[in-house]
Amino acid sequence: MSEDNKIATAATRLGLSLDVWALITAFLLALLVRVGVLKHVPW
Amino acid sequence: MATSVTFPSEDQNFFASVVRFVPGVLLLAAIGFAGKVLEQSINGYAKAHHLVIPNIEYVLWAIAIGLLIANTVTIPKIFIPGIATYEFWLKAGIVLLGARFVVGDVLKLGGISIALVVLEISGSLFLMTVLGRLFNLKPKLTSLLAVGSAVCGVSAIIAAKGAIDADDEDSSFAIAAILALGAIALVTFPLIGHALHLSDNAYGLWSGLAVDNTAEATAAGALYSDVAGKVAVLAKTTRNATIGFVVLGYAIYWASRGQAEKVKNKGAFLWEKFPKFVLGFLVISLLVSVHVFNKEQVGALANLSRWAFLLTFAGVGLRTNFREMAKQGVRPFIVGALGEVLIASLTLGLVVAANAIWKL
Repeated sequence: MSEDNKIATAATRLGLSLDVWALITAFLLALLVRVGVLKHVPW
Repeated sequence: MATSVTFPSEDQNFFASVVRFVPGVLLLAAIGFAGKVLEQSINGYAKAHHLVIPNIEYVLWAIAIGLLIANTVTIPKIFIPGIATYEFWLKAGIVLLGARFVVGDVLKLGGISIALVVLEISGSLFLMTVLGRLFNLKPKLTSLLAVGSAVCGVSAIIAAKGAIDADDEDSSFAIAAILALGAIALVTFPLIGHALHLSDNAYGLWSGLAVDNTAEATAAGALYSDVAGKVAVLAKTTRNATIGFVVLGYAIYWASRGQAEKVKNKGAFLWEKFPKFVLGFLVISLLVSVHVFNKEQVGALANLSRWAFLLTFAGVGLRTNFREMAKQGVRPFIVGALGEVLIASLTLGLVVAANAIWKL
C-alpha cells in the first residue's frame, strides 16, 4: 500500500475521508477569516 | 517509495495520531519556505547588482529541494507520515483557491473545461487501451494506466484498483509511471508553453488537461504563472469530478467478465468516489461572488491557499524517488510515456482550437 493510500485510509479510520477533512479545514480557515480571527495572511 | 507507517491503534487518542504528522509537516513547511526565500534572495541580489537572470519561481525551488533530499538521503521514518499529508494540503488549497474565482469565471472557464475534458478523457482512454494491447501489458494494468492518464493520476488509480480488483503490483506499476511522467511534465510543459507563446489561460488549461496527478498539474501551471496555476487547478478539478463515472465504467466492464465484484448501488458508488473538495471549491467561489467576504478577506483566503500549495509542492519533490520508480520496470513506463506524449499533443491541439474560438 502506498504512503498516500495509507494516509487516506488513516483519515477514513478517524471517521471521515481525507477529502472531507481537507474540506472541513478549509471551511474552518474561511470562517476564521470571515469573523476576523485571521485578519491578515502575509505571502 | 516511502517506508511503511503504522496507524494509530484503536486505543490511541486523536491528539496522539495528529502529533505523528507534525515533523513531516514542519519539513514540508521548511522546504517550501526555503524555496520562497531562495526566489526572493536571488531576485534581490540580481536587482542590487543590476544582473539579468531568469526568475526561478519558489515552486521550482521547493520541488527541487524536495527532489534533492528524496534522492540523496534516506528520509527518517519520523517525517514520513507528515510528508504524505501533501495531498491533504493540496485539497484544502484547492477549496480555498475558490476565493480567486467569481462564479462567472468558473462558469466560463469551467464550461470550456468540461467540453475539453470529455474529449480528453475519451481520447486518453482509447490511446492507452490501444498502446497497452500493442505492448502486451496485462489488461488490468492497461485499465489502471488508462484511468490514471485520463482522469486524475494516483487518486484515480487507487480508486480503480479497488473497483476492478487489480493486483498491488499492477497499481504500483501504474502509479510509478504516472508519477515519473508527472515529474517530466514539470520540466517540459513550461518550456513548450513559452516556446509556443501560450497565454496564461491557454497554458493553464493545457496543464490541467494533460498533466495527470493533481499536485503536478497545479505545480506545472504555477511554474508558468500565477494565473496559469489557478486555471490549471480549475481544469484539473473538472477532470477530477469525472472520476466516479470513469471508474464505475471500468468496474462494470470487469464485473461483466467475472473478474471484479458487481457494483450494487451505482448512486452510492458515484458519491463515494466523487472528490468532495470540488464542492468546497464551488461553495467558496459562490460565497466570494455574493460578497460574503470583503476584499481583504478574499486576499487572506487566496494567501492561505498559496501556503497550502507551498506545502504540496515540497511534498511533490519529497515523494519523487527515481530509484524506487526505476525498480518498477520499463514497459509500463514506455506505454505511459508514449500515451502521455500523444495525450499532451491532443490536448494542446484542443486548447489551441478553443483559444481560436473563445479567445482564452
